[in-house]
Amino acid sequence: MLIDMQHVEKVYRLGKIDVPALCGVDLQIDANEYVAIMGPSGSGKSTLMNIVGCLDSPTAGRYLLDGEEVSRLSDNRLSEIRSRKIGFVFQTFNLMPRATALRNVELPLIYAGVPAGRRRQLAAEALAQVGLSDRIKHKPSELSGGQRQRVAIARALVTEPALILADEPTGNLDSTTGQEIMEILAAVHRAGNTVILVTHEEQLAAQTGRTIRLRDGRIENQDDTAPSAAPQQAVSPP
Amino acid sequence: MILGENILLALQSLRANPLRSFLTLVGIAVGIGAVLYVVVLGQITEKRIKQRLESLGSNVLLIRPGYSRMRGVRTGQSVVNLKWSDAREIASTSEVITETVPTYTAPGVAEYKDQSWNTRITGTVPSYEWVNNDHPIEGHFFTEEETNQRARVCVLGATVHEKLFGNVSPIGEPLTIKSKRYTVVGLLGAKGESWWNPDDQIFIPLTTAQERLFGVDHLSTILAQMRSAQDHDEALFDIETILRRNHRLRADADNDFRVRRQDLYLATVQETTKEIANFVILIALVSLMVGGIGIANVMLVSVTERIREIGVRRAIGAKKIHVLLQFLIEAMVLGLLGGLLGVAAGLVFIRVMTGEVLILPWDWIGYSFVICAGIGVAAGLYPALRAANRNVIEALRYE
Repeated sequence: MLIDMQHVEKVYRLGKIDVPALCGVDLQIDANEYVAIMGPSGSGKSTLMNIVGCLDSPTAGRYLLDGEEVSRLSDNRLSEIRSRKIGFVFQTFNLMPRATALRNVELPLIYAGVPAGRRRQLAAEALAQVGLSDRIKHKPSELSGGQRQRVAIARALVTEPALILADEPTGNLDSTTGQEIMEILAAVHRAGNTVILVTHEEQLAAQTGRTIRLRDGRIENQDDTAPSAAPQQAVSPP
Repeated sequence: MILGENILLALQSLRANPLRSFLTLVGIAVGIGAVLYVVVLGQITEKRIKQRLESLGSNVLLIRPGYSRMRGVRTGQSVVNLKWSDAREIASTSEVITETVPTYTAPGVAEYKDQSWNTRITGTVPSYEWVNNDHPIEGHFFTEEETNQRARVCVLGATVHEKLFGNVSPIGEPLTIKSKRYTVVGLLGAKGESWWNPDDQIFIPLTTAQERLFGVDHLSTILAQMRSAQDHDEALFDIETILRRNHRLRADADNDFRVRRQDLYLATVQETTKEIANFVILIALVSLMVGGIGIANVMLVSVTERIREIGVRRAIGAKKIHVLLQFLIEAMVLGLLGGLLGVAAGLVFIRVMTGEVLILPWDWIGYSFVICAGIGVAAGLYPALRAANRNVIEALRYE
């Protein structure tokens, strides 16, 4: 089991009021699963993503990632876990605007302490994996939106993490390009990676193996297939 | 690994805002350039004074006329009562004074062929050479005999030689002073400029100067050489006794002459120069600090502009220390580039202003870079800490 969460709670303190964001989440995800997480805003979806991605620690409960207890780690140790085990794909790509595609993909390897020669080789391989071998010297401003997101996926893949966390990866793309990105994520999954997709869109969630629905800080249900009868909660992309 | 990457990153980010980076650099450059300039100028002056001190020795007293007084108020004018006979009597009467050198100095124009040069003409005696330890590098100093004959011969200071003759040897050449021809018999070595230029001078026999050229019978100075520096008090007493008697001063009258020990005087000049230099360095350091504040300001802006970037870096595995180092090194690079610019500007300025054949002040160039790096780090520390301690989730969401 790659992710094992037991009774995870998260409470934010806003002034004198405690605001619960997660109220006892139990979540298990196996290695090489492709999982979608859905939920309306305020459902605790973002909080859960932050904890899964080791950007935040739970207030209570246990979180084992790849067999390692990560719920009570220092900031430094969390950075190391992120560096070794998690690859992020963001809605807004978040590439370094002044760096080439190759340099962008190299970035996580720099923090992981990989020597320069090996870094360049791994980054080039990751870019080849997303079909961008001919664009490695381009800067983000010289790439289309879909290409930028592919660079971002290569950046997430390059450290060979245990988990790829894609947060609304198609949110800033038109539907054709979005579908291209979904196909790349599916390919990444087929290649043996564990992928978690956070999305608003039922149609995208349906392409994954399992959908986890959150509401009011709790997991509502987990289906192996996305139910077509579920009420339409998707917010159309901007 | 991280260091090289960070330097690259810093240069990249500085290039992204060229004007902003340049203005910040200038802030540091002005400060460090000023420090370097003042330091080197101070060193040059000190070196020259030291040379002068060494050539003069510690056993020479300088006697000069006092100031004339009008109803008890000192006027600018010197009195004209110092005579050659005073010098002779001091040398022959005092047991502790071995030699006196009378001089009379006045401005004059020297001409050679179509060149002319406004300089000072100093009439003196042959012993000038020995007491001042100032020997001709070519030819010879004029002799007793030439003095007695009121001969029209002259010895040139290095500056006069350069202005009138260039590189040509002046020995035996005719020089015109006030329409009279003088033969150059000697050329003195360069002593270097300090608060005045001793090389910009022509020496002629005192007899010639007083009787033929200027028509005066008083002196500008008398140099008195003591047996040793320990005889100072006794020498002073002898000089005072002889001069007061010769000048018929009443018992309640002030001295109409001044005596000072040259080495002590020069030491005071040296001390003062140093103090002024230190003060100016202090001012320059303050301007350097202002430059540092400029760096801090730019770094704060830079951090705010890149909050999102910080969040992304942290998400993909950067530790706090990585972010801290990134911004610290960026600030340090700013400081060092400013230092580079400042040192270059300072050296050019020194070259232009002093005309010195520049001996690079490596020690101070080294200090400059250390200071600049230090200022960069000090200025960048707070912005970098702010960057490193940002909440990752908030930074990632920052618009």
